[in-house]
Amino acid sequence: MIHIDIWEGSDPKPEVERFCEMWGLEGTVLLDETGDYARSLGVRGVPTNLVVDADGTVRAFGVSRLDELDRAIDDMLRR
Amino acid sequence: MTATDPVEFGVGAACRIDVPAHSRKIAEIPVGLDPEGVGVDVARRLAYVACSRSDWVTVVDLERHEAIAQVPVGAEPIDLVFDAPTDRIFTADAHSDSVSVVDAETLQVAATIPVGAYPSGLAYDADARRLYVGNSLGGTMSVLDVDTLETVATVEAEIGAGAIELDRTRRLILCVNFIAASVTLVNADTNEPVGRLEVGTGACAVGVVPERGEAFVVNSVAGTVARIDLDEARVVEELRVGEAPVGLTVGPAHDRIYVSNRGAGTVSVLGVEDGVEWTQIPVGDGPGGVTVDPHDGRLLVANAGSGTLTIVEDLLAGRPPLPALEESSPLVGNPLPEFTLVDLRTGEKRTSREWAEKRYIINFFASW
Repeated sequence: MIHIDIWEGSDPKPEVERFCEMWGLEGTVLLDETGDYARSLGVRGVPTNLVVDADGTVRAFGVSRLDELDRAIDDMLRR
Repeated sequence: MTATDPVEFGVGAACRIDVPAHSRKIAEIPVGLDPEGVGVDVARRLAYVACSRSDWVTVVDLERHEAIAQVPVGAEPIDLVFDAPTDRIFTADAHSDSVSVVDAETLQVAATIPVGAYPSGLAYDADARRLYVGNSLGGTMSVLDVDTLETVATVEAEIGAGAIELDRTRRLILCVNFIAASVTLVNADTNEPVGRLEVGTGACAVGVVPERGEAFVVNSVAGTVARIDLDEARVVEELRVGEAPVGLTVGPAHDRIYVSNRGAGTVSVLGVEDGVEWTQIPVGDGPGGVTVDPHDGRLLVANAGSGTLTIVEDLLAGRPPLPALEESSPLVGNPLPEFTLVDLRTGEKRTSREWAEKRYIINFFASW
């Protein structure tokens, strides 16, 4: 899992650090400070999840509901 | 495949419904960081928008479609109510554990009322002259006298107490508890709890249609809206809306409810009687607070992601004859564009090449 933070305004680091500590968010957290990368993908809301296959292909976009995310992951693993 | 074959979308292919003919965007107005609560001053033709990361209220001219003032209030103002009889704006300032009272004529803070821990939601009974405050970390609801600014009662709710609404007919208060995934029912005349309902995960907004004896509660994590029978005090149906719904308001005719989808950049129009999503109206990024301008019926939507207020018209007279088609994201089935982004913990730049030949999930999130 790669978490990418977006839309924080200026100097996102303190707010994001606090959020990660509060919710126990471990693992990779990246900052898209300008929101340019998210915009280039057509991200319009949060959370937005992308499922990416081993060949770099996007298999699912959106899937914020846990049941939908589970199904998208299962579909990818069956390929 | 022929032109008449049904189109099947794989799981995760759909991203949003966008049918321009069902709505008309009037304006999108920059207001500040993480706007959430919106109130309307009909007489002045103004909207007041609580910008939680800016620690101010932005005043928006609804005729000229521009921000005309910012009013500093307490820390992290999340929700907002405008009381016309006293000409005051009230904000729930989550990090100050207080409610700011702003004189709408002078745009100066006139008072600060201490409430419980992390107040995040407000509701308002203009006739009974009561303001209800959901104190999320305290798990309580404060009841304030709008005229005297005194605290009348503190009611035990549950952890995450936030969104509140009233059934004025039944004299019943519904206090939604986000973390407990429940609704505390309170007698509005005695301020005594009278019941409890379990709802979906991430319950965060509520609306009431009293003539139907129904309430609607948004479950942001579950991605649904729960229809509640108020007389039987139970959930009777779960209704599907867009990605990560967080806000709700009932349409003026009580034939539809509007649900803001923080995960999709849209507002769902949900039929009250049929429980069907009629359409999704595109608004700004990461929408949250939604309200209807009583003057003209237009929707005012606070977009936390883009820092804007969207003014949009719902053009639907009723349920459309055909369901709106979901558009799949053009990314699905295609290579992920490369990225170079800073790592929060190390400060180093990291690229997508590090994850080449691996399967992974990217989760775009925000801390608000």
